[in-house]
Amino acid sequence: MGRPEATARPRLGVAKFASCDGCQLQVLNLEDALLAIAERIDIVEFPEATTHRSSGPYDVLLIEGAISTQEQEEHVHKLRRESKLLVTIGACATAGGIQALRNWANHDEFRATVYARPEWIESHAMSRPVADFVKVDAELVGCPISQSQLVELVTALLTGRRPYLPDEALCLACKRKGTVCVTVAKGIPCLGEVTRTGCGVLCPSYDRGCYGCFGPREQANAKSLAGHFLLEGIPDIEVGRLFAGFTAYNEPFRTAVTELGGTRGATPDAAWAEAAAALHRGGHDAG
Amino acid sequence: MVATSTTIGFLPRADLQGLIDLLRQDGRTLLGPTVADGAIVYDEIEGVADLPAGWGSEQSPGRFRLQERGGERLFDYAVPPTTWKRFVFPPEMPLSVATRNEDGTLTLGPAKREIPKLAFLGVRACELAALGIEDRVFLAGPYTDEDFRARRNASIVVAVQCAEPASTCFCTSMGTGPGIRSGHDISLIELDEGFLVTAGSPVGSAIMEQLPLGTPTADHLSAASDQLVAAREKIGDPVEARGLHDRLLAKLDSPRWAEVAERCTACGNCTQSCPTCFCTTTVYQSDLDGVATSTERLWESCFNEGFGKVAGGNFRYRFQDRYRQWLTHKFATWFDQFGTSGCVGCGRCITWCPVGIDVREELNAIAPPSGAVLTLPEIKPVPPPRPGIFTIASKREETPDTTTLVLTKPGGMDWEDVRGEFVMVSLPGIGSVPISVSQRTPEGMVLTIRNAGPATTAITSLDAGAQLAVSGPMGVDWEGPLELAHGKDIVVVAGGLGLPPVRPVIDTVMNDRDKFGAFRLYYGARTPSDLLYKEELAAWSARGDMEVAVTVDRADATWLGRVGIVTYLFDQASWDGSKVIAFLCGPERMIQASCNVLQAHGVTPDRIFISMERHMQCGIGLCGHCQMGKFFVCKDGPVFSLAQLGDTFGREGI
Repeated sequence: MGRPEATARPRLGVAKFASCDGCQLQVLNLEDALLAIAERIDIVEFPEATTHRSSGPYDVLLIEGAISTQEQEEHVHKLRRESKLLVTIGACATAGGIQALRNWANHDEFRATVYARPEWIESHAMSRPVADFVKVDAELVGCPISQSQLVELVTALLTGRRPYLPDEALCLACKRKGTVCVTVAKGIPCLGEVTRTGCGVLCPSYDRGCYGCFGPREQANAKSLAGHFLLEGIPDIEVGRLFAGFTAYNEPFRTAVTELGGTRGATPDAAWAEAAAALHRGGHDAG
Repeated sequence: MVATSTTIGFLPRADLQGLIDLLRQDGRTLLGPTVADGAIVYDEIEGVADLPAGWGSEQSPGRFRLQERGGERLFDYAVPPTTWKRFVFPPEMPLSVATRNEDGTLTLGPAKREIPKLAFLGVRACELAALGIEDRVFLAGPYTDEDFRARRNASIVVAVQCAEPASTCFCTSMGTGPGIRSGHDISLIELDEGFLVTAGSPVGSAIMEQLPLGTPTADHLSAASDQLVAAREKIGDPVEARGLHDRLLAKLDSPRWAEVAERCTACGNCTQSCPTCFCTTTVYQSDLDGVATSTERLWESCFNEGFGKVAGGNFRYRFQDRYRQWLTHKFATWFDQFGTSGCVGCGRCITWCPVGIDVREELNAIAPPSGAVLTLPEIKPVPPPRPGIFTIASKREETPDTTTLVLTKPGGMDWEDVRGEFVMVSLPGIGSVPISVSQRTPEGMVLTIRNAGPATTAITSLDAGAQLAVSGPMGVDWEGPLELAHGKDIVVVAGGLGLPPVRPVIDTVMNDRDKFGAFRLYYGARTPSDLLYKEELAAWSARGDMEVAVTVDRADATWLGRVGIVTYLFDQASWDGSKVIAFLCGPERMIQASCNVLQAHGVTPDRIFISMERHMQCGIGLCGHCQMGKFFVCKDGPVFSLAQLGDTFGREGI
């Protein structure tokens, strides 16, 4: 596009699709760090921060939000062409978001219930992550994203190193922090062991189970965890509901929701639930 | 009366506060059991009122519940989720700081750390054993963790014998408890009326002398004895520990590994709850400009995705491989590494496994009892290598993605004092990578580096004159095998980036050609443009006193040489393998195929030497990442004989 490359500061854009803008607010709320970043990077597009509209190309484009309409689908392809590095941020962009619960339901029925003139609404039947449509270079997960992970990503991009965004269970952070496991000590169902770390142990620190807003970690064994909850006496729909949160559409949470129910349109499959529980039955009897 | 270190004193219940006050003298922080977050945890204790009077615990696989027992007894709970490990080996610890100065030079330094004066109250026999195991891991060498040593030395250990073990306990099987034997400064046995007190160290004796101790009665002593017998009987002997090392290692192919992996979520809680697990990872932090940077050490787990990962892939991708690594390390290869079991039988990995996997069941299913007894190895400590600042004297582009750097050190290198196959090269703020030393020069060393990730790419992008931090050389080099090769024939097999690590072998033989017999170099690369050291290959070929054969997997229009995998170069060769010493480095599958062909030629496994690759991070066998069976590849290798590797070599997921 004829821009001087060598001397120019990196051009960063923030774009949004179907989302609540909470992740953009995390960017804005960086405050001091944001000023330091703005000294090194030109933030050329940021709808939550300014009404001033700009356009590509971008050295780095952060995308918030799920792809939920035909217009968004076309636009994300255009943005991909304009971006050197495309980074999706938040549960909507990386997993389809809470609105992806409609992926199990009857879209037409939903549309007719919510809107007075449903024929005016041109949304896709499914809310899907950006990576379903275009190549994504990096992801910041979470609902909302973690500010420290955002700063880490930007710092790593500026200094040219690999960002430290570990794909390990949340449990590691709980143990390092010394938080007592709420599942083991209190019987509170927690998705921490199948959920990617990064939130800084928000929920378990306040006596709540993790509800998976950072999404499934590498090879997350949701079936085993679901089976354990079932054997603890939690009904299948309730177990399915645990997985039917902000990142429900990402595998293997998606399978757990589909097989156990927990959202409208997902019906429990007794055989899957039995197979999941059976994984633990031997161990429990002997213990 | 005044008690001495050899006597047992009786401390009335009402006088326990006196002991607490003594322990908290001089600003020392006392840590002990207290009720918090629905459990008993180890935290700061100011007085008796903080202790869990009347509280116990019910524990089973995947379950812990506080149990209200009533009464005055303070220590009638089984081991809680907290381990003492976190106070002597912190979960998050700053390691070092570095600054990139305006003129491009580097300044390195250790991070500031304070070593707190601590006292631990309520350490169980199994936990004393765990501290003893950590002493072996961190202090028995060859390399040591001096931060751990300082924290251990600054801590007073007050043990309290366990009277109410949980259903998950198995210290009896592991031979660590419930009776207190050693490792404490003071030990207490809680009775209904008070405590039996003994000292286990001069520090403990000094504290004991200041306590208002009475003489225990015969009833006190028999009550203590009954209590211990009852605790022992409650635990039973759920795991046959004798011979477990050999039994487990004989079952590396058990179908049970895949079965347990279906239940295991690889969450790592077993490793983080374990009082002896010591693996760590190093995290780099920097400011936005990468000028001020720091490194921090975090508790790591062998169940994590990144643990077995290198640029080319993950050595332990499957959960079954990770579970096998953990269990066989804890109960078997730990003996080979440290002369002790890695398990003390505290049962935390059972209670705090959120899906309730019981390690005792897995052990009994995978390695049912037999009878063998093992012997312990001797260990000789050596000082750890220090990082030094090196300057890039010159660089040469070998291929589009591989660069050779000539490094010099101010004052030069004293190779007489330093051996080792590889170095850890760090660019502060970017990362640290293990690189084999391909040449030793009087001024420094030569490294050939492929751009496999951001750190290697950043390092090879540096210009001549830039500075780098280099630790080492470390590990076992080719010296031993080369001495063995005097008067023998030599075969070197290298694949791809495996040529630089064997370069010292080639140079040694070249410089002292008469000492060795026939010399054959077989080298394979993916394509002609991936061949390294093209000039040297031509020069070696031209010498006439060695055979150089090169092949590529895929030829291009310029290539007139051999095409195919490296073993094609010598599988039909007519040389006699009975006098050959072989040196290998390259992708693991290539090494496997080469070993098979070499053995078919009559080269026995004790004469085949391999430079192995694993995820090397700390370089001195303390972070745990590079384990391969019983070996830490960084300090026991990376050069191994095939005979040494034995059953470990070529096995998936090791």
